Amino acid sequence: MLRPYAHRLLLLLPTATYRTAAFVEAARRLDIELTVASERPSTFQDANPAGLVTLDLSDPDRAVTQARAFAREHPLHGVAGVDDDTAVVAAAIAGALDLRGNDVSAARAARDKHEQRALLAAAGVPVPRFTLHGVDEDPAQLAARVSYPCVLKPLRLAASRGVIRADTPEGFGAAFQRLKRILDGALPASRSLLVEDFVPGREYALEGLLSGGRLRVLALFDKPDPLDGPFFEETIYVTPSRLPADEQRAVAACAQRAAAALGLREGPVHAELRVNENGPWLIELAARPIGGRCSGALRFGTGGSGSAAWASLEEIVLRHALGMPIPSLEREPCAAGVMMIPVPGAGVLREVRGIDAARQVPLVEDVAITAHPGQQLVPWPEGARYPGFIFARGETPEAVEAALRGAHRRLQFVLV
Amino acid sequence: MNPAEIRITAEPIDTSRCKFVVSEPVHPGGVRRFASPDDASGSALAEAIFAIPGADVAEVIVSGNLVTVVKRGPEPWPAVGKAVGQAIRTALGGDRPAVAPKPAAPGTPGADDDGLYERVADLFEGQVNPMVARHGGRVELIDVQDAVVMVRMAGGCQGCGMADVTLRQGIEAMLQQHLPEVKGVVDITDHAAGSNPYFAAAKK
Repeated sequence: MLRPYAHRLLLLLPTATYRTAAFVEAARRLDIELTVASERPSTFQDANPAGLVTLDLSDPDRAVTQARAFAREHPLHGVAGVDDDTAVVAAAIAGALDLRGNDVSAARAARDKHEQRALLAAAGVPVPRFTLHGVDEDPAQLAARVSYPCVLKPLRLAASRGVIRADTPEGFGAAFQRLKRILDGALPASRSLLVEDFVPGREYALEGLLSGGRLRVLALFDKPDPLDGPFFEETIYVTPSRLPADEQRAVAACAQRAAAALGLREGPVHAELRVNENGPWLIELAARPIGGRCSGALRFGTGGSGSAAWASLEEIVLRHALGMPIPSLEREPCAAGVMMIPVPGAGVLREVRGIDAARQVPLVEDVAITAHPGQQLVPWPEGARYPGFIFARGETPEAVEAALRGAHRRLQFVLV
Repeated sequence: MNPAEIRITAEPIDTSRCKFVVSEPVHPGGVRRFASPDDASGSALAEAIFAIPGADVAEVIVSGNLVTVVKRGPEPWPAVGKAVGQAIRTALGGDRPAVAPKPAAPGTPGADDDGLYERVADLFEGQVNPMVARHGGRVELIDVQDAVVMVRMAGGCQGCGMADVTLRQGIEAMLQQHLPEVKGVVDITDHAAGSNPYFAAAKK
C-alpha cells in the first residue's frame, strides 16, 4: 500500500551516470528531501548523513540491507533508479520498504535481454527469433546453424555496446570473436550472448510512465537515421513521431503488452521498437527513463508560468516515485529532438571546434560536449560514450532534424 | 574598444541558465550579482540584460570575463543569447560603466556580506576543501553577495559527473547547517573545460 504523500526520496545515482544534474535539479525544483545513493562514498557523506549514502548497487540484496539501516534513521517515502541496474536495486528496496515500485523479478527481466526475449515471446509479443549461446561455443558451428542477417548481442551492456550485425558465416565468426573480447573486458562479467534475427524496418523509441500497470505514452521518437548495422550507435531522436496515428497506436499497444508480459507496473519505461510491413516489433524495453542527456529534449506542461511552465521528465519520475500529484503528462506542443553526437573516431580528444557556430544554427537550443579534453574516445561497438549531445526545438520534426544535422556539421573534433 | 572585435561564446547550462564567455574583461574587479532590475540600476550591462523582452531575466552574475544569466521565460537561449551578446558589446563599448561598483548597504557598508564571506571562507578552508581534496578537487569561494555564495570548482570537481551532488548535497547542505543565513549557492564553474574529472559519465 502506498504511504501518504511525504518527501524523502532515495535516488540511486551511479557515479558514471549522465543523469546527475537533471535529477538533482528536479529534486530541488520539487523541494523534496533528497538522499543520493551511489556505489562509491561521497566525500561529504559524514557531513550530510541524511543526504548521502553508499549502497552496493551491484548487489540488490546487500543494497536492501544497507537501505533498511539507513531508513531506520531517515525514513524513506520513495525510491528511484536511473538506469538498468539501479532499476533492479530500486525495485528490491521498494519491495522491502513498502514503497511504490516494480517487483524485483520484473525489473530483472527487463534488464536481461534473454530473459526479456523469453517472456515476451511466451506472451505473444512480436520479438526477433533468438537463441542463447555461451562465449565458449564453437563459432564456426554456430555460424552454420543461424539464419542471416542476424544480430549478436550481449545480455546486459548498455547503449548498444557490443551489438553487431552479421550477414554471412564469415561475418558471424568475426562478430562472435569481437563480442567475446568485449565481454571479456566488460562489467558485469558475462559468458553468454544472444543471437537473433535482424528485423528490417525503421526504429522508434517510446518514452512512457507506468502507473498501476497502465502505460501512458510520454513521447514517441522517430530515429530518422537507419539503424541497419553493422553497429548500432544511436544518433537522432525527434518527437512527435511522423509515423501515422494508427501505427503509433500499434507501437504503444505493443509496448503496453511488453510491460505487462515482464510484470512491470510502476515508473518510467523506455522501449525501442522497429516497425515494418508486419507491424511493430519489440526490440527492448527498459524499466528506466531515456538514457544519456536525451531527456533534455522532453518537457511537459504544468499550467504554470515562467520557469514553472514546464516540468522535466525527471520531475515526473520523482513525483511518481513519491506518489505526488503530476500536473500533466502532456508534452509541449512543439517538435523537439536530440542528437547523440557520433564518436568521430578513435583517439584522445584534444578539443572541439565550432561549438559556438553550432549553437547559432536556428532552432538549436544547446550543444553539450560531455567528453572532456584528454578523454579517450572509443567508437562502437567497443565504446558506449557519446562525446556530446545537441538539442533543438521547432515547429516541425523536419525542421528540428535539419537543425540537428546542421549543427553537427559545424562541429569539428580534434583527436590525437 | 571596438565592439565588433569582442568574441562571445554562449554555454547554456540548462533551459534557465546560460554562461557567456567574453573575450574581454567585463568586470575585472571581482564578482557582481544582480537579482533584480533595481539592483541593475547604474550598471549598463545588467540594465540591458534585464530589459531583454520575453526573457524574464531573474539574475545576472558578472565575474571577470564571464556573464551568467538566469531567466524564467520560455524563450530559448539562441534567441535570448543574441540579445545578451548585443547587450555585452554595447555595454563594453559605451561610456557608462558596464558593471558599477556595488553600492554600500545602509548602515555598516558591506558588513553583512563581508562578515559572511569570512565565515564561508573559514568553512571552505577548514572543512569543504579538505573533503573534496580526497577526490583531487578544490572549491574556490569567489564572492558572497546578498548572502548568495558564488563558487568555482576546480581539479577533480571540474566536469565531474557528480559535481551537482557535491554542490547540493555537500557544500550547500554544509552551509545550511553551519551558516543558515546563506540564501543560496551559485556554481560559476566552466565544467566543459574540466580535463580531469573524478567521475566521468557513460550513457546508461
